[in-house]
Amino acid sequence: MEVEKGKTHKYLREKREVPETVKENLKHFTRVKKSILESLRDGEMTIDQLTQKLGMPKSEVVFFLMTLIKYGFVETGQIDDMDEYYSYKLKQ
Amino acid sequence: MAENIKTANYDALVIGAGIAGGEAALNLANNGFSVLLVEKDLSIGGKMILLSKVFPTLDCAACITTPKMSEISRHHGITIFTGSEVQKVVKKSENSFEAVVIKQPRYVVEDDCTACQLCEQACPVVVKDQYQYNLVGRKAAFIPFSIASPRVAAIDIENCTLCGACEKVCPTKCIDFTMEAEEYHITAGAVIVATGFRLFDPLKIPRYGYGQYKNVLTSMEMERQLAPTRPFNTVLRPGDGKVPDKIAYVLCTGSRDATVGNPICSQICCMYSIKQAQLLMGSLPMADVTIYYINIRSFGKGFEEFYEQAKGMGVNFIKGKIGKITEKENGNLILRYEDINENKLKESEHDMVVLSVGVLPNTDAAGIFREQKLEFDHLNFVGQKDPLASPAETNIKGVFVAGTASGPMDIPDSILSAGAASSEAMRYLIRK
Repeated sequence: MEVEKGKTHKYLREKREVPETVKENLKHFTRVKKSILESLRDGEMTIDQLTQKLGMPKSEVVFFLMTLIKYGFVETGQIDDMDEYYSYKLKQ
Repeated sequence: MAENIKTANYDALVIGAGIAGGEAALNLANNGFSVLLVEKDLSIGGKMILLSKVFPTLDCAACITTPKMSEISRHHGITIFTGSEVQKVVKKSENSFEAVVIKQPRYVVEDDCTACQLCEQACPVVVKDQYQYNLVGRKAAFIPFSIASPRVAAIDIENCTLCGACEKVCPTKCIDFTMEAEEYHITAGAVIVATGFRLFDPLKIPRYGYGQYKNVLTSMEMERQLAPTRPFNTVLRPGDGKVPDKIAYVLCTGSRDATVGNPICSQICCMYSIKQAQLLMGSLPMADVTIYYINIRSFGKGFEEFYEQAKGMGVNFIKGKIGKITEKENGNLILRYEDINENKLKESEHDMVVLSVGVLPNTDAAGIFREQKLEFDHLNFVGQKDPLASPAETNIKGVFVAGTASGPMDIPDSILSAGAASSEAMRYLIRK
């Protein structure tokens, strides 16, 4: 099989099947990302507020929210009056 | 793969490119010897490159490691194989070892990658970032961490969906999914084993609740939270994103504990915990940090002063043994402990608990040496033939040990050990 530079993934796709768990993981992340970004469209939110809106465990919200900050979708907002919880907002 | 076997000759083969392996390779190369440095990870630098600061000077770890790694990477006398493992080493004769090294495909042509990270931005997959100790996600097309050496992208093929998004955006077309594992047959005059150590897995002590309670962390997870390239904007509880106020350290987690198979002191936990406590008080000035200890072992140069400095800053030290950790509904943790000085059972509430995990031997090198087996000591660290007179010599003439592969030690001692190993290797090579 001739392999064109820049399209070599097709070569490996012929030889190797992508596991179902990997596909499921991608779907899950895409779903969570969409939900978090849609929620933040209405304004800044804390992790507690996001947890209630998304119905996910807090630790999962922390993980995905921090990942979205890392990749430039979300940024950290203000901390509350007790200096305990930050709020988060969409990156402009 | 057998059809594509490549061969090469070096004066020395160094297994493991952490701070000890890197130092040993650099010493050898600076003295005119050619070195093959083999690292199983995607970057050289070992555990040190992931640290925040070092004790007792509080120097930035990356500022010490990065120039050294850069010097190693650029040295014309050193060839580096990352993502590679030494499969076997056979001693053929004096000053002649034959090794088989397998280089796993990175799916990126290293020389062509500019580290632009466009592939990382385009990749839709997110998995746990092992370089941030799973506190945050990373992509399947990724640069391991910002100060990785080489700073080159890699494809995590186990989690890749083969969508091709990374290839589409790569400006240099350096992503290549046709790459396969390569087998190298290496001839070397001497071998240095610098395979480092493993950290104790606190899941082996279920009463501490690690894995079950999200606000119980290991010291390496806290180390990442304190590093300049940290996963969060500040120190946060992974369970709910709260800025912690009362933080506890549990020393000797998996050290000096025969019940978990590690009866010895790890030598570094007291000091790295004291270091982290001081750093925490710097980043969270209102925080209340308590260290629960059995004995504080501040035996090195400047260590006792460092310990006194922590006390002066307001770090609480309680001589106590932790019986059990339980979680409250709000994520806070209750530590039940024996106050050794008062001989009483007590309970204390904390926002976050850091388990100061101990050092365990890495036995990866055990199966590598064929015919003449490499001997290990009773604790499973690489055996030293004569620890006092010739600490780097092993039972195989021409094979030397450097750094924590031979036992727990801190960074300066690892550097010294690497110096000893490289000196003894040079003496062995010159004698031929």
